[in-house]
Amino acid sequence: MPLTTVAEHKTERLEVLAADGTLDASVAPRISKEKLLELFTVMTRIRVFDERAIKLQRQGRLGTYPQILGQEATQVVPALCLEPKDWLVPTYRGQGAYFARGMKLRYSLLYWGGDDRGVKFPEGNNDLMFAIPVGSHMTQAMGLAWGEKLRGTKNVSICWIGDGASSKGDFHEALTFAGVHKLGMIMFIENNQWAISLGREAQCAAETLAQKAHGYGAYGIQVDGNDALAVYKAVCEAVARGRAGEGPTVIEAITYRMGHHTTADDATRYRSNEEVAEWKAKDPLERFRKYLLKDGILDQNALDRIQKEAEEYVAEEIKEYEAFSKPNPLDMFANNFATAPWPLIEQRAELEEILREKQSRNEIPELPPAEGRFP
Amino acid sequence: MAIKNLLQGINEGLRQAMEADERVVLLGEDIGKNGGVFRVTDGLQKLFGPSRVVDTPLAELGIAGAAVGLSLTGMKPVAEIQFSGFTPPILDQVICHFGRMRNRTGGRSSLPLVVRAPQGGLIHAPEHHSEAPEAYFCHTTGIKVVMPSTPEDAKGLIIAAIEDPDPVIYFEPKRLYRTVKGEVPEEKYATPLGKCRIAREGSDCTIVSWGAMVHTSLKAAEELEKSGVSVEIVDLRTLTPLDIDGVLASVRKTGRAVVAHEAPNTGSWAAEVSSLIHERAFDALKAPVQRVGSWDIRQPLFKTEHYYIPDAHRVVRGVNKTLSRVKAA
Ligand SMILES: Cc1ncc(C[n+]2csc(CCOP(=O)(O)OP(=O)(O)O)c2C)c(N)n1
Ligand SMILES: [Mg+2]
Repeated sequence: MPLTTVAEHKTERLEVLAADGTLDASVAPRISKEKLLELFTVMTRIRVFDERAIKLQRQGRLGTYPQILGQEATQVVPALCLEPKDWLVPTYRGQGAYFARGMKLRYSLLYWGGDDRGVKFPEGNNDLMFAIPVGSHMTQAMGLAWGEKLRGTKNVSICWIGDGASSKGDFHEALTFAGVHKLGMIMFIENNQWAISLGREAQCAAETLAQKAHGYGAYGIQVDGNDALAVYKAVCEAVARGRAGEGPTVIEAITYRMGHHTTADDATRYRSNEEVAEWKAKDPLERFRKYLLKDGILDQNALDRIQKEAEEYVAEEIKEYEAFSKPNPLDMFANNFATAPWPLIEQRAELEEILREKQSRNEIPELPPAEGRFP
Repeated sequence: MAIKNLLQGINEGLRQAMEADERVVLLGEDIGKNGGVFRVTDGLQKLFGPSRVVDTPLAELGIAGAAVGLSLTGMKPVAEIQFSGFTPPILDQVICHFGRMRNRTGGRSSLPLVVRAPQGGLIHAPEHHSEAPEAYFCHTTGIKVVMPSTPEDAKGLIIAAIEDPDPVIYFEPKRLYRTVKGEVPEEKYATPLGKCRIAREGSDCTIVSWGAMVHTSLKAAEELEKSGVSVEIVDLRTLTPLDIDGVLASVRKTGRAVVAHEAPNTGSWAAEVSSLIHERAFDALKAPVQRVGSWDIRQPLFKTEHYYIPDAHRVVRGVNKTLSRVKAA
């Protein structure tokens, strides 16, 4: 018997804006001027924030911080394609996504400043607390989409992951379920070319990560992740597919981690300056700015104003961050259970006693009152 | 003898084990070109090449399963899990296969593999970078669990772990990596597994400890000395199999014991040590054994972490409890 072809797959790539900001009208998304301004303003603010956060870390005013420089489009744009009741499931490198959904930047600073009060999503949003163990959120995002389906809503979930995370078994399990149950889950791969010191080619021998979708009966597409409009179009279409009950989408957004992995990393140990320079020329914000100017959507004055407002906005958030009182250590006992069992009650009392001892010996200053609910 | 830090001790041990036996291969995330996120494997890929010091894709369970397969072919894999906080995914291989292969095959197959992982907190790291999960592993049969607290032991124990015919989990107390220095013999040597070490001699109370908490306990002992209390410190070095004779000898001498460690007390390795002391040296005890561990809650972020992991003050309180019990009685 001759061999027959039982399945054929192709994987496409979407680009809308050329490097010089020229728009390809044949593939451009439908988007209002207000939305364009929103995307651009939020991207600008998160760029300014990122630069300030790095400085704060250097000055010892912040702990380890994961930079998002160069990933403003892949962070901000997907979040702005959603409704508040869609599930936002970012990674640890997700401060841009959270900000786009309305979380105040001061809370990202608090978290990376080592303060447990640093998680405060806006009321009414379906935002998930991110996971530090890489990839462990993928199956949760699938479960969220499943829950929405069972409840009969049209809400979708969008799960950011890195190129590194796509190697985890969780990726396979999440998409297997999502495909079988036709769930409105979007696996948004922020392929920034690096997983700490490992390049993209060290993670997977396939030409693209988008084509992995085919293995699960999902739709897959690659987009230029430094092209805000391509990201916008791909995510909006994936959301529509999810709402229509057509199942999961895998989006591989090609971008670049311009900074070190985190402030604790030294990327010069494993990658060349030439490579970084090459990607700098593809900067997502710069390209967006060129497009807005070119098409007369904004003039230079308006751009300058957006930049200046971003700087003021971020400065205010940093001020608010630094105005937070020191955390009271007793608050670590709050919110571990709905009702605290005896070991926690005893141990909290012991810590209270220890704090009093230390205070009586002038080893620690007066502490602000505990805030958290206990027991 | 050269003065080295704990990290250099491990690095030198790995290098000498690889020089001595070409079946030894290292695998893990970012261990090659980058030399590991803490630089424990720094320079080794240059020396031994990328097929013996292997950067793997980001998949912990894959790394653990690969180590099983590699060791069954006669290789001696030393896998790194980047932080002990990311060991939960490997428990599938550890619990279901590491410790069972020898027994299930009637002794025909064994897994001479090592898994290394940085352990413990207080380095201002983000969430999940500061855990002390040793009890999960100690509870698992068929594997050994090791944790050094000095550069000399760091080298000798990693060599012993690699030479051991059974699976060994080797935890590296990361806050000691560069803070603890000491003499490290130049030659290749193995520090026997299953043997504890007296880190300080004393007569009133024994503190049993391991990893970085040995050093916190040493500080506590100095404080207690000021009030005339003489403390002996037992550094376990190997958690399983436990050096029960070594522990009991010290407890029989002092009549009191505190177990000081970084994990929450409930279901901890300290619980096992305390239980064994009560079972086997009850007659010698002047007071019940005390455990000094972290609280039974999620580990907080670094701004309050030092109130979660015991400091010397909390170890002193633990010792004082064993002393005051006697007066009350
Ligand atoms: C399960 C797990 N293993 C290892 C780590 C350490 N780690 C943190 S981020 C990272 C690389 C992630 O790369 P990628 O998924 O591409 O995301 P990116 O950091 O590039 O955003 C590693 C290995 C971790 N956090 N969790
Ligand atoms: Mg990446």
